[in-house]
Amino acid sequence: MSHSKLASIFNKDEKRVDWHDKALWFVRHKRDKSVHNVKGWEELRNLGHGIKAHMLSNLDNYLIQFEENAKKNGVEVHWAANDEEHNKLIVDILKENNAKKIVKSKSMLTEECHLNPFLEANDIEVIDTDLGERIVQLAKERPSHIVLPAIHKNRHEVDELFQEHLGTKPCDGDPQYLTGEARKHLREKFISADAAITGVNFAIAETGGFVVCTNEGNADMGAHLAPVHIACMGVEKIIPKQEHLGVFLRLLARSATGQPITTYSSHFKKPRKGTKMHIIIVDNGRSEQLSRPDFRASLHCIRCGACMNTCPIYRRSGGHSYDATIPGPIGSILSPGKDLKKYSTLPFASTLCGSCSDVCPVKIDIHSQLYKWRQIITKETPQPFIKKQSMKAMGKIFANPSQFEIVGKIARWSLRNLPKAVINSKPNAWGKARDLPLGPKQSFDEWFKERENEKKS
Amino acid sequence: MKVGLFIPCYINQLYPQVGIATIELLEKLNVDVGYPSGQTCCGQPMANSGFEYESNGACSNFVENFKDFDYIVTPSGSCAYHVKKHYDIIPQTEEVIKVRNNVYELCDFILNILKIKDLGASFPYKIGVHKSCHGLRGLRLGSCSEVVGKQYSYIEELLQEVKGVELMPLSRTDECCGFGGTFAVTEEAISVKMGKDKIQDHLDSGVEVITATDTSCLMHLEGLINRNKQPLKVLHIAEILNSNL
Amino acid sequence: MGSRNQILEKIKSNKPELLDLPNIDISLFEENLDLIKEFTKKVEVVGGNIVTANSNEDIIHQIEKIFPDSKVKFSNLENTQSFNTINLATLHKPHDLENLDLLVLESKLAVAENGSIWVSDNEIPVRVLPFIVQHLVLVLSAKDIVPYMHQAYDKLSNLDSDFGVFIAGPSKTADIEQSLVIGAHGALSLTIFLKE
Ligand code: SF4
Repeated sequence: MSHSKLASIFNKDEKRVDWHDKALWFVRHKRDKSVHNVKGWEELRNLGHGIKAHMLSNLDNYLIQFEENAKKNGVEVHWAANDEEHNKLIVDILKENNAKKIVKSKSMLTEECHLNPFLEANDIEVIDTDLGERIVQLAKERPSHIVLPAIHKNRHEVDELFQEHLGTKPCDGDPQYLTGEARKHLREKFISADAAITGVNFAIAETGGFVVCTNEGNADMGAHLAPVHIACMGVEKIIPKQEHLGVFLRLLARSATGQPITTYSSHFKKPRKGTKMHIIIVDNGRSEQLSRPDFRASLHCIRCGACMNTCPIYRRSGGHSYDATIPGPIGSILSPGKDLKKYSTLPFASTLCGSCSDVCPVKIDIHSQLYKWRQIITKETPQPFIKKQSMKAMGKIFANPSQFEIVGKIARWSLRNLPKAVINSKPNAWGKARDLPLGPKQSFDEWFKERENEKKS
Repeated sequence: MKVGLFIPCYINQLYPQVGIATIELLEKLNVDVGYPSGQTCCGQPMANSGFEYESNGACSNFVENFKDFDYIVTPSGSCAYHVKKHYDIIPQTEEVIKVRNNVYELCDFILNILKIKDLGASFPYKIGVHKSCHGLRGLRLGSCSEVVGKQYSYIEELLQEVKGVELMPLSRTDECCGFGGTFAVTEEAISVKMGKDKIQDHLDSGVEVITATDTSCLMHLEGLINRNKQPLKVLHIAEILNSNL
Repeated sequence: MGSRNQILEKIKSNKPELLDLPNIDISLFEENLDLIKEFTKKVEVVGGNIVTANSNEDIIHQIEKIFPDSKVKFSNLENTQSFNTINLATLHKPHDLENLDLLVLESKLAVAENGSIWVSDNEIPVRVLPFIVQHLVLVLSAKDIVPYMHQAYDKLSNLDSDFGVFIAGPSKTADIEQSLVIGAHGALSLTIFLKE
């Protein structure tokens, strides 16, 4: 279904839209309060952008350097060209280690690769340990936001979900109680896990180490207890040097939630004694995106979610309306690179207001890329005949002043003289909830000519 | 200094009073204004819909009409932005480059080229400023809430000098109104919801008149206000700056 | 190994021309922070408690007052062996730490701008310790506070560790309707003793 269809379904419940909008606006507001207190914030964003752009321009070499150092650290490094290979690699590692129970912390990459259903099909239990992800996992949904996966669920829905699956007592949606119960439930899972899977926020070429950021401590609880740790990363997670973390860790949490830093920024380098650490480096379309000069900056993304929180459309349509792994503005420039036809409505789910680009900590020109995807989509995917023809006609009219004058006259006459019911009738989406302007008798052109004539006489 | 006036297509046809206020205002300020009669549209409606390639004719026509002026002034941040940012689809001749460099939104032109702040206007109402996105984040006609740095706003600087104007604060200073060109139609539900929320913010703040640098946003808001019979008026900034009430 | 070479080849042919790596000019961010004041403020922002102390004895004394009910305890402070109720040397697997109530660790680096404290393999004999414990206590000298993350990484470049973590406050979540709950999967509380 198109974004606009799903969005209009979401909008049937206006109270819920208001609630969703306010919850996310609150996060955007916290971000503002936080970043406006950082001296040199814009310079920091420039650095974030510059380091990522440089990284992409030398990515193959940095990957090789990273691999070399990681191996020296005693980490096993694997490469996956696509989701299928990624999933297979993981299952192979798990089988090798006889691992049947897995705890997984947040990783949009494993979402993208649909790892969970694949593991389950292989008789492996996988538990998402981030509270928000656990909530959507129990609800058999996908995350609706990359930082706040369950932002679309209210406390009462979580209450009911936990009663059903975790046997909790009814609590009128008390977040404190529900979080406490989740803590107990997941502690058991951490203690009994055979392997832990985590994402990677930053992988440092210089040291072969990688950093994972969480607030809940779930990545650490998993990785430091289980005998096997598998970390999955997209190729673009590389940064050249450790000192660059100084830039990115300052940007990330402030942009995401307004916190000055996440509770835990864990720097993994070597496996702990007697355990194994694997890193899976995944392409899955990224090198393809790298080949597109107009769109390659989308690979700068550090997954802070700020563009979602700020997007007036995202806030009012919900993450699921994008029907993609990564929703919101950044998702709308990434997804078409993967499947132009399937995601062809996403770049149009924007007013091009530009807020996303200004909020982005690594200065991705998101709204310009949305505009550019539009130009490609109209050429490369089938367009409604009417839309195409009307655009063509418009192009001709605007190229030709005399035609423009005639068409304008007819339009104004219709607005003035046709009954409202006709003007605002069905096929006209404008008129469903809005009035059209009253057509004036005289256009500006006509007024101007009249004035000129009066001046002369 | 020869100034060419560009009146966007929808203003020409649907809101001529905005064009009239603009030309009267500029003439009051002793600007030598020319209005080339062959102008139509900057090409934005097609381009933003993804049909940039159908807008070449409109772009060329624009340049043809305005190439001989020192400045091109328009009561639309959005159109000025489009010419500046997206006219890379036609060959970059000297004329094209000149036109792109010299196109100005009205407030920007008055404040930064004419260097006039007090226009002698008076308008005794409570005003809510809608900061149209393309002017704000495209042309940087003011600071936006996302970016850290000095706070400024051209439209508010001019309004502050208008006698009787009371500028009302909004809870969300620069959220988009939801117009977005064809977005208003293709994403009708969200567009309407955004507009409603925007209007509510103005109502909550006690605004009597909403103004902006772009008539397109105002047309969208006005459509909702009229349909819902709300106690608000919309006026383009040129109309306020040209008032003497 | 998988598709290593194929991926690298594709990247090599698709990447743009080499762009410069920008330099980090720290002076852009300097604002003469009062380090102790800023650090204290940020610790509170991230949900931690901060207490001043003058000696390790003083700290242990205060801890026993703050956490009178804790049974299973471990500290890596000098001269605090009598405080410890467990012996890490005899620990079989990290899972046995599940009932740890209180952990006291000394740290050598903290960051004023965000209230975070660096803890690494050098201080923690078992990695899961600061996460699995119910209540975490970190001890810090005021002189070890640096203003920004940039200076922190400067210091870290000489402190090699196999694992290390910046900890800012107790574990927390806001995943249920954006209401902040302190105490997610990691420590339920964080207390910092600052030695001036
Ligand atoms: S595109 Fe920018 S703002 Fe959006 S999630 Fe990525 S880094 Fe954050």
